[in-house]
Amino acid sequence: MTKPLNVEHDSPSIAGHGATKSYAMQESMIVKWSLIAISLVFLALFLILPLVSIFVTALEKGWATYVASITDPDALAAIKLTLTVVLIVVPLNAIFGIVAAWAITKFSFKGKNVLITLIDLPFAVSPVIAGLVFILLFGAQGLFGEWLFQNDIKIVFALPGIVIATMFVTFPFVARELIPLMQMQGITEEEASISLGASGWKTFFLVTLPNIKWGLLYGLILCNARTIGEFGAVSVVSGHIRGMTNTMPLHIEILYNEYQFTAAFAVASLMSILAIITIIIKNFIEWKAKDE
Amino acid sequence: MSIQIQNVSRAFGTFQALKDISIDIESGELIALLGPSGSGKTTLLRILAGLEGLDEGAILFDGQNITNVSPKERGVGFVFQHYALFRHMTVFDNVAYGLKVRPRKTRPSKDEINKKVRDLLALVKLDNFADRYPAQLSGGQRQRVALARALAVEPKVLLLDEPFGALDAKVRKELRRWLRKLHNEFHVTSIFVTHDQEEALDVANRIIVMNNGKIEQVGTPEEVYEHPNSPFVYDFLGNVNLFRGRLHKGKLTQGQFEIDVPTYLDSHYEVVGYVRPHDIQIEKNQLNNESVAAKIVHIHMVGPVVQIELKREDVDEYLEAEIPKEHYKKLGIKNGDTVFIKPKQLKVFVPEDFSI
Ligand SMILES: Nc1ncnc2c1ncn2[C@@H]1O[C@H](COP(=O)(O)OP(=O)(O)OP(=O)(O)O)[C@@H](O)[C@H]1O
Ligand SMILES: [Mg+2]
Repeated sequence: MTKPLNVEHDSPSIAGHGATKSYAMQESMIVKWSLIAISLVFLALFLILPLVSIFVTALEKGWATYVASITDPDALAAIKLTLTVVLIVVPLNAIFGIVAAWAITKFSFKGKNVLITLIDLPFAVSPVIAGLVFILLFGAQGLFGEWLFQNDIKIVFALPGIVIATMFVTFPFVARELIPLMQMQGITEEEASISLGASGWKTFFLVTLPNIKWGLLYGLILCNARTIGEFGAVSVVSGHIRGMTNTMPLHIEILYNEYQFTAAFAVASLMSILAIITIIIKNFIEWKAKDE
Repeated sequence: MSIQIQNVSRAFGTFQALKDISIDIESGELIALLGPSGSGKTTLLRILAGLEGLDEGAILFDGQNITNVSPKERGVGFVFQHYALFRHMTVFDNVAYGLKVRPRKTRPSKDEINKKVRDLLALVKLDNFADRYPAQLSGGQRQRVALARALAVEPKVLLLDEPFGALDAKVRKELRRWLRKLHNEFHVTSIFVTHDQEEALDVANRIIVMNNGKIEQVGTPEEVYEHPNSPFVYDFLGNVNLFRGRLHKGKLTQGQFEIDVPTYLDSHYEVVGYVRPHDIQIEKNQLNNESVAAKIVHIHMVGPVVQIELKREDVDEYLEAEIPKEHYKKLGIKNGDTVFIKPKQLKVFVPEDFSI
């Protein structure tokens, strides 16, 4: 799990140094405060300021306009679609992530390294390219296009396409989080469980899952955040059909392109709130996991 | 439950970890598995537990071939080299685990489980630690939890991989005594791995000495210690002094120095005589050419025995002797003195037959 480094300032363990507040120590204090100041200014400039400006712009024309922008049917449809995608993608990626991490860490087999590389692929490929690949596969002129059309299955420019593209982009989050964790934990607890007479399922639910739960949750949070915010891949496969295949980020872009800034920022503020909640949950999980 | 290990071999890639291992173990035995690091002890135990597959051979429990039975069905209690406690469960839940995961039909009631776990925790003297997590226990306490957890399912076979591994000498001794008591109480066929020859000699009723994936010797502690069948076993079980020389007509000669070995009547040019430190006799005066001059380099007194390190004057070799304290006082020797030593008992191995 990626945790912030614990830098201990003025460690109390250095005994006997208190008397000589040396020049070197004063200098290190200057360095310390300058570094902190630089990080704070940077944070304010690039994170807080934009975030505040989102809310300011969103509420520029008053509360009523804000509510109207969010409750607009197209906006509601976008919110609903985004949440639907989350509800499908996150659980599926949780399962695939666990299965992949399990296979990689608890068994030894040929081609393991290839699998590890494949899991990283979505991080390496631009989301737009990922979207295009699915168009090439499932689009009207695509590899399976003919067959899909004949069987009346809609993938591209519909919910399935959006789900598949999002899954592809967010697949690595859970697996990447779990692999190092499970590698570190090894398989001895599972072996102990089996030799005590537990079945494979019981071993998974009673031993493996509790051991990886914080890592899993952390991966799910990241996966969730990315699913809500994914733009590139979804943009390619969705077809931008208003009220039907527009997710929240796509809806914001359309509003923005139509110069409806207030509405765009209103929906954006909603996404920001989701992001802030995510960060809070993430920190809570980190804190909890460290506690155990 | 009796165990038969028949011609078991196991390789990891090209590395042969076990080579044609065969052992018969009777029901209720307490066996020590002894051998240097990497000799295949853990591998053998894991094969018995079903956690590791085997390439050739068979495992029989009570005469029944269980080679292909899953570890879940074997009824083997395994105490792992590094405990392998469930880290997110309390001590209580760790011990209760094997009972709780049983299918509903054979699972004891909640009260029965509670009682059983409490009894076991009392047995391993951890009654007050039931609600702790493994991370909050000392090594010795973890070890005992691991033992209680394995015992909870009433295994027919108990396998312990270095059960006293990382513990200090005092705790080891205590647990060791305790293991023997436990064994007398439960009569479970048990095999425990150890690096510590003293531990093996002390606790087990039979010892298996392994080396390089093969069995060197199987026997009672006396047999293995008093009559090692190879230089390796001799060397591995306790300290040893080497006397290299020529064997001829019941005598081992090395320069001026001659030792009577009446049981070895054939002739060899290159043989090695093995002598335990307590079989070395020290005298102040030379009796005949059966003794050899040596200078005392170091005297180390521990309890009732005195360990004396000596350097031979005829060849550049060091010797180690152990004599009772009273004898030491009678001799009145000190560092730097020259004395005469004589092997009281000597075991000869001919290097052609054995490669050390
Ligand atoms: N899964 C594995 N893959 C490859 N080699 C292995 C594996 N398990 C064991 N070995 C090798 O087999 C040999 C025997 O290992 P084993 O763990 O049985 O030794 P051991 O006698 O228990 O040693 P120790 O006293 O250090 O625990 C070692 O050389 C080890 O490197
Ligand atoms: Mg081992």
